Amino acid sequence: MESNWAAEHLQVIRTLMERSALYRRALAPIMIFNGVVGLAAAGLGWALKVGSPHAFILFWGAVSVVALTGSFLLVRRQAIKESEPFWSPPTRRVSQAFLPPLAAGLMIGIVAWAKGGAAPGNLSDLSGVIWLPLLWVMLYGCAFHAAGFFMPRGMKIFGWVFVVGGCGLFAAGVPDWIRPLDCAHGIMGLFFGGLHFAYGVYLYFTERRRHEM
Amino acid sequence: MNPEPFLQIDRVIHEKGRLAIMSMLAASAELSFTELRDTLGMTDGNVTTHIRTLQEAGYLSVTKSFQNNRPLTTCAMTPAGRKAFSHYINLLERIIQQNKPE
Repeated sequence: MESNWAAEHLQVIRTLMERSALYRRALAPIMIFNGVVGLAAAGLGWALKVGSPHAFILFWGAVSVVALTGSFLLVRRQAIKESEPFWSPPTRRVSQAFLPPLAAGLMIGIVAWAKGGAAPGNLSDLSGVIWLPLLWVMLYGCAFHAAGFFMPRGMKIFGWVFVVGGCGLFAAGVPDWIRPLDCAHGIMGLFFGGLHFAYGVYLYFTERRRHEM
Repeated sequence: MNPEPFLQIDRVIHEKGRLAIMSMLAASAELSFTELRDTLGMTDGNVTTHIRTLQEAGYLSVTKSFQNNRPLTTCAMTPAGRKAFSHYINLLERIIQQNKPE
């Protein structure tokens, strides 16, 4: 009897310690914002025919800056609204988990940008760097999976969707009938726009229900 | 059964609300008042009372500051609080151990 009571206490302590370390800001607005940015950027890139590797990398690099800045501003707004510190320990942990794969994606982008411009042949058009968006997708999935250890459980699954989707498309290759321009912006739009938006809408309803409970 | 671990249990920490606050602060360097209140689903008054009790026992330090012109209260566990919390967990483990069937 006493043993059960003590074990229950320890279980409660463990649960609370885990919950304390979790990132608990509302993620729906951040996901929806990133989804809208991703979809709009894919449409814009396709409409403007951003087709050279140089332009593609610069264009999506700029989009990622907009998405990151917007996300940080949304987190900051939530923190101010709830009278909480912005750079809280859970925010720090999540940012640190995100950092290595995102830094790797940035470095690969810079190298591809530097080599792509000078290289003749297939590196000078998008069909030669079609692996790049897929690599970004996979690395982004890894980043989400790592951050998922400090976030609600669904984030790890979300990360896996990027990893599996990126690997799947990488293995399947690009069919001949799809133009590289459509394919590259399509991949970015589908993963960074569509998936974020869909998950954001799902979170909008589930997070609201959780807060109403 | 050896009643000693029961007698040693720290009543300040043992109360449900205060144990929850101590557990959360054991896993985070510091937490704001609102984070504690929202995660534990307590009222402002409840959290305030528990924090005051823990502060008086020397287990918590409370810092009041301003962020964006709004008051910000943050709590952190003191070294004495960490020691007391660790001792409390050890006692619970001892109780479990001594009640385990041979």
